[in-house]
Amino acid sequence: MRPAPPLLLLLPALVLLPLLLALPGLVHGGGWDLIAEFAGAAFTPSLDPVVLQSLLAGLWVTVAMALLGWGTSLFGGLLLGLASSRTVWRTLVGQELPAAVIRRLLAVPRSIHELLWGLLLLQLVGLQPAVAVLAIAIPYAALVARVVSDLLDALPTANLEALRASGAPAPAALLTALGPPLLPGVLSYGGYRLECALRSATLLGVFGLGGLGTELKLTLQSLEFHELWSGLWFLLVVMLLLEAGVGLLRRRWTMPRRFALHQAGVGRRGREMLLALLALLPLLLAVGWALGVDPVALGHWQPLPGLGSGRWQAVLSLPWLQLVGGTLVLTALATGLAVGLAPLQLLLAAPWPWLRRLVACGWVLARLWPPPLTLLLLLFVLKPGLITAALALGLHNLGILGRLLRESLDDQSPAVQEALVAAGSGPRLALFYGGLSGVARSYLAYGAYRSDVMLRETVVVGLAGAVGLGSQMLESLSSFAWDQLAALLVVYALLTLVGEDLSDRLRRRLLRQA
Amino acid sequence: MTIRSRTTAVLAGLSLVLTPLLAPIIVGGTLRPQAVAAEPARTARVLRLGAIPDQKPEKLNRLYPLVASELSRQLGVTVKYVPVVDYTAAVTAFRTGDLDLVWFGGLTGVQARLQKPGARVLAQRDIDVAFHSIFIANTGSGIKPFNQQKGLAQLKGKRFSFGSESSTSGRLMPQYFLAQAGVKLSDFAGGAPGFSGSHDATIALVQSGTYDAGVVNEQVWRSSLHDGKAKRSKVVAIWKSPGYQDYHWIAQGDLDQRFGKGFTLKLQQAILSWRPSDPQQKQILALFSAQQFTAADAAAYAKIEQVGRQIGKIR
Repeated sequence: MRPAPPLLLLLPALVLLPLLLALPGLVHGGGWDLIAEFAGAAFTPSLDPVVLQSLLAGLWVTVAMALLGWGTSLFGGLLLGLASSRTVWRTLVGQELPAAVIRRLLAVPRSIHELLWGLLLLQLVGLQPAVAVLAIAIPYAALVARVVSDLLDALPTANLEALRASGAPAPAALLTALGPPLLPGVLSYGGYRLECALRSATLLGVFGLGGLGTELKLTLQSLEFHELWSGLWFLLVVMLLLEAGVGLLRRRWTMPRRFALHQAGVGRRGREMLLALLALLPLLLAVGWALGVDPVALGHWQPLPGLGSGRWQAVLSLPWLQLVGGTLVLTALATGLAVGLAPLQLLLAAPWPWLRRLVACGWVLARLWPPPLTLLLLLFVLKPGLITAALALGLHNLGILGRLLRESLDDQSPAVQEALVAAGSGPRLALFYGGLSGVARSYLAYGAYRSDVMLRETVVVGLAGAVGLGSQMLESLSSFAWDQLAALLVVYALLTLVGEDLSDRLRRRLLRQA
Repeated sequence: MTIRSRTTAVLAGLSLVLTPLLAPIIVGGTLRPQAVAAEPARTARVLRLGAIPDQKPEKLNRLYPLVASELSRQLGVTVKYVPVVDYTAAVTAFRTGDLDLVWFGGLTGVQARLQKPGARVLAQRDIDVAFHSIFIANTGSGIKPFNQQKGLAQLKGKRFSFGSESSTSGRLMPQYFLAQAGVKLSDFAGGAPGFSGSHDATIALVQSGTYDAGVVNEQVWRSSLHDGKAKRSKVVAIWKSPGYQDYHWIAQGDLDQRFGKGFTLKLQQAILSWRPSDPQQKQILALFSAQQFTAADAAAYAKIEQVGRQIGKIR
């Protein structure tokens, strides 16, 4: 017997039970007054012109870093995607092997979180705006490359074969047959990456790479909540504008949702898309120039000190089992929380529209706050440790998943739900059988992909003390222990590669059944 | 095929042809590592001043621009204050040559000198010869003040926060004293201590009860009591550590080549010449909580280096 799809959807929420049981033991309640002060400050942000000016300057840097990193990754990813496409290689040289090799190689930059890229590059080339840009661009380009090559290889090849059979040269045939149908998928995914890039750029700032994130971290650390909220409101406006803008373009160009990157044929608005794409280039160059990105300065590599004297014995004696175990448990808890809580919240709030709106607002805030900030806030009232870190990571991703779930529910035809309501079932049951059952598999498939992201993200909640590889990495970094760092990076990369493989299989299975 | 869809296809094809041509403009130079020394243009006549962010940003932003303008006046070169976000970043920025003169703590100073051979220790404050850490506790935590070091054992099982991971007075020496009293880092509640990031943050978090206890440097503790930020009804000092060497000014080794012969000596003399009789210098010294700066030398930090190696913060 197999559970019905909507039940499957609620399965991850089971992780809430142990979390709820553990929570009372974790509360130390010391800083409730700080939490109250923080919440109160939301309504009384600082309006000091000096503060606002420096926050706006930070916001501009963050947005510029996000835009540049994203743009670079989009162009780089397109090239790499072409280079790792089986169809392209088969058509050009009649051999698929290079595609597989390149695809495998690209898994490495993808498996390392942008924060780690940032911190590594910082050590190599010093503090400059280009570091954050590159830190975003490297892993993102590898991600885009994977999506592009997947899309390319999934396209029907009848047109291509027809063109080839009629004697068209390989490159021309590829462009004509695959270029137009590829664009909508790439742009849809690209828009989504821009939202991710904004979050990444903010996060990099929290770890000292400049921009608004740096201001947020400093104001929170010195408990200046009013100034913190001025920054958060700015960020909120930009985030919502961006999300609305991307959503608008997606609807206008009737593109597929990111849940299911199925091909929808040639976009009717192809010309508009191309113009937007071409307009992007001068914009990116201008932003890069204004931000002071200096590609030449990136070439001045500084040697890492003390690399030769690796103490591998000491590296081996790190508590690896505990570190890896902690990281995996953290990922599992955060995934269960994020994936399971969103549909549960929707179900609970189903009868009351105002509560539904409140839940959606909560999601906006959850994805607005970078996980390390959420963690610092949680530490005011919770003891440090794995569960606290999982809460911070899970809540952030809940904000992202919740929005996706709601979007895909809104996309559905309301007929089934209306019919159920008309037939006399309550709003919860109607949502359960009418709404959720339709999106269950694609939502879970996306959740599987997101668990992969969370595994990489465990590094950013290392502040909670002794929670796996992330904490050890921050400690090793402040000791300038390159040997430890190298070993940690390798273990991290291996873990995420295995995790990616597992979540891929799960996703394919879920989508096949859908 | 309609005309419109053909145009679309052509444009799409065109864009795919163009992207490879345009991408190198953006990614371009980044992929070519060049073994060139730091550009002279970038580092010419501006002395870049930095400091570990051990206190609230407002205080740092008040103090270091003052220092920059005073040094600029005395030396006749442009001095620019470059804020950094954490201790590690300050060390890294010194190594990569992004900072010329940095106010380091004991540990970060040793780390910086080991990573950048040739760096020069210029000066320390009068109070840095025998600097102290103050262990503090929330009044509701039940932890009582004590006089003997072994009283630190009371902290076992409590929520405890250090300052920055690389702080000398907020982590390195306290961890050393805790170890002497038989307290391991895994003995604290939650299996690990917290790292608040700065001394001010530690005081605020202990005062609010987020942590039962913490450790801060004596100078910040005194000034927090003085300006009322630390309320005696909520947070108390429980133990004062023995003295050790702490903060110091460190300069790059190549300042003489870049700013002219004898510049490093002039810079050191300038810092040593600050006296409370001059209004601006008085303000600087007050913010540093010092009467004056004295010459310092690297050998004084041998003990810090030894403890750093013991704890694994120096390798």
